[in-house]
Amino acid sequence: MADRVIEHDVVGPASAPDDVLRVEHIAKGFGPVTALRDLNLHLKKGEVLGLLGDNGAGKSTLIKIISGFQKQDSGKMWLHGEPYQPKSVDDARAKGIDTVYQDLALIDELSVYHNLYLRRERLLRPLPLLDNRRMKREARTALDEIGINIPRIDVSVARLSGGQRQAIAVARTVNSEADIILLDEPLAAMGAKEGAQILDLVARLKAEGRVSIIMILHNYVHVLEACDRVSMIQDGVIALDKPTAETSVEELTDIVVNEYRRAREETQKETAPTA
Amino acid sequence: MAEVQQKPSAPGPQAGGGAAHARHATPSVPRRLLERGLSLREGSIIVVTIIVAIYFSANTSTFFTGENFKTLLPYFAPLALLGAGEVFVMILGEIDLSIGGMYMFAPIVFYKLDNAGLGLVASAIIALLICMVVGAANGAFVAFAGVSSFVATLGMLFTFEGLSLLLAHGTPVATPGAQVTQTEVKVHHVVNGHSILLGEKVNHIGTFAKIFGGGVYSELIWAVVIVVVLQAVLTFTRWGLYTVAIGSNKLGAAEAGVKVKLVTIRNFVLCASLGGLVGLLEAVRSQTIQPDPSGPNELLLIAIAGAVIGGTLLTGGSGTVIGAFIGALFLGILKDGLILQGVNANYLLFYTGLAIVIAMTANVYVGRVRRGHTGSG
Repeated sequence: MADRVIEHDVVGPASAPDDVLRVEHIAKGFGPVTALRDLNLHLKKGEVLGLLGDNGAGKSTLIKIISGFQKQDSGKMWLHGEPYQPKSVDDARAKGIDTVYQDLALIDELSVYHNLYLRRERLLRPLPLLDNRRMKREARTALDEIGINIPRIDVSVARLSGGQRQAIAVARTVNSEADIILLDEPLAAMGAKEGAQILDLVARLKAEGRVSIIMILHNYVHVLEACDRVSMIQDGVIALDKPTAETSVEELTDIVVNEYRRAREETQKETAPTA
Repeated sequence: MAEVQQKPSAPGPQAGGGAAHARHATPSVPRRLLERGLSLREGSIIVVTIIVAIYFSANTSTFFTGENFKTLLPYFAPLALLGAGEVFVMILGEIDLSIGGMYMFAPIVFYKLDNAGLGLVASAIIALLICMVVGAANGAFVAFAGVSSFVATLGMLFTFEGLSLLLAHGTPVATPGAQVTQTEVKVHHVVNGHSILLGEKVNHIGTFAKIFGGGVYSELIWAVVIVVVLQAVLTFTRWGLYTVAIGSNKLGAAEAGVKVKLVTIRNFVLCASLGGLVGLLEAVRSQTIQPDPSGPNELLLIAIAGAVIGGTLLTGGSGTVIGAFIGALFLGILKDGLILQGVNANYLLFYTGLAIVIAMTANVYVGRVRRGHTGSG
């Protein structure tokens, strides 16, 4: 039963003066399902934090709470040392937190540039009309700047490949002048080449040092390559929190394997006949 | 979204597009032309409408005349107005059947308020405001309660048609402000070099009636102005952009921060108020308020058919107001032309039905072409 130790090895509320975001004792349930139990997380300025965890561990729920799409049942958040409780996605965005969602918040029927500027449309002030020409021009510049190659920006995004769509979703967030960016599986649905482009993009943003990033990833190699620090969520709590320099693919794998073993033993115990 | 959507689908030697398309296998020239024409969202229905108009012009001596144009107007202008509102709801992926109820209810409220001494303009405005409230309720049922729009607006349709029957006690009344008055004027005539005065009867209608449906071109002007304004709203404003965004990917739009509930309610308000407006225009034009739900029920379905023929998808995310206007024009010409040809009235519904089926099939094909020849669209 040594494996059970993991469950109690919960990382407490760590705080440092240069934390841009702190999440303390967050809990969230959906009816009978507990997604997050007592989750603590912090993010330093300019840091890239990799978030790992099994399916259903609560990674996406955490991201949705930080980005204002859902509200936690209990617990507190702090942004730049101030209490932070977003009322909506717009509110979170106004405070500098922007998100690329797993289920891709791209609108198939809209063009690349309309997607890039959704909710931040450029208008022909004082008229309430869309300044499509300006959005096209700025979209082209923005995509070039962060090194994303999309041949035509006036086509609907339905006509683009999965990788191109993901790149646009990431570009939209980067382009939004947010200082905290949440990436929910940015490499899903991507070929190796396109994935490398996104990781290059993250590396460039890290070098700039302006934004702090939380990234949900599945591939441990990607985490060790692209992130400064890794947090692993298990069963609604953080089970591991280490600088990537101090961990390895082997350690991360061990934790997951042990978790699986423990879960299987528990299931067997439950289903075993109790005479 | 016409401007945005059409560009990518127009293959061939347009600026910048040549290089990208050169890599594809080049289809034959006629096929390319056909595809380009069909790629315009309204392309197929424009062509079909012109063909039908030419057919009736060639086969009847009376179709292509100014007089017939005037008789054609009431066949399609109300459909175009109703369709314009319906497009905003249908792009969301919803439907509004309550416009029939508003069409019937607004004139009766107008009549009651005018009888109570509120005056024509104030009565009309209050009647339309009530329609907007009903539209807001429709939107709230859909956006907040999550009721299917078909069910919610069907309920509203029957409720307000029923309420109209109750308020009108089931009897037709003369529309206030729409009475035709005759005056006799003396006109100089020169007969065999002698100047004589002869009395002539001249029909007059009030200014209110002239503006609200009574004038010959009144409904046409309403339809053209409103269609142009709403198409501009759809293509060039955030309201239009968000409408398409919600219809295309509701969750995604919400995650991006689009206020889905607000836009949904706003579009239902627009649709219901146009239903009321058309009811008022038609009541003034026909000079009577008919408390009979069969007319509105047929009209609302034909208006939806016009929008569908004009390229608006019931599944949402795609559609144009101009398309609904042309769809309405097509249905108007079809009805008018068939009547002029002396076709049995029973065939009208049959041909309308066929036209809808054919147009829907064409839309599916056009959708595939637009999505890039994959056939999987």
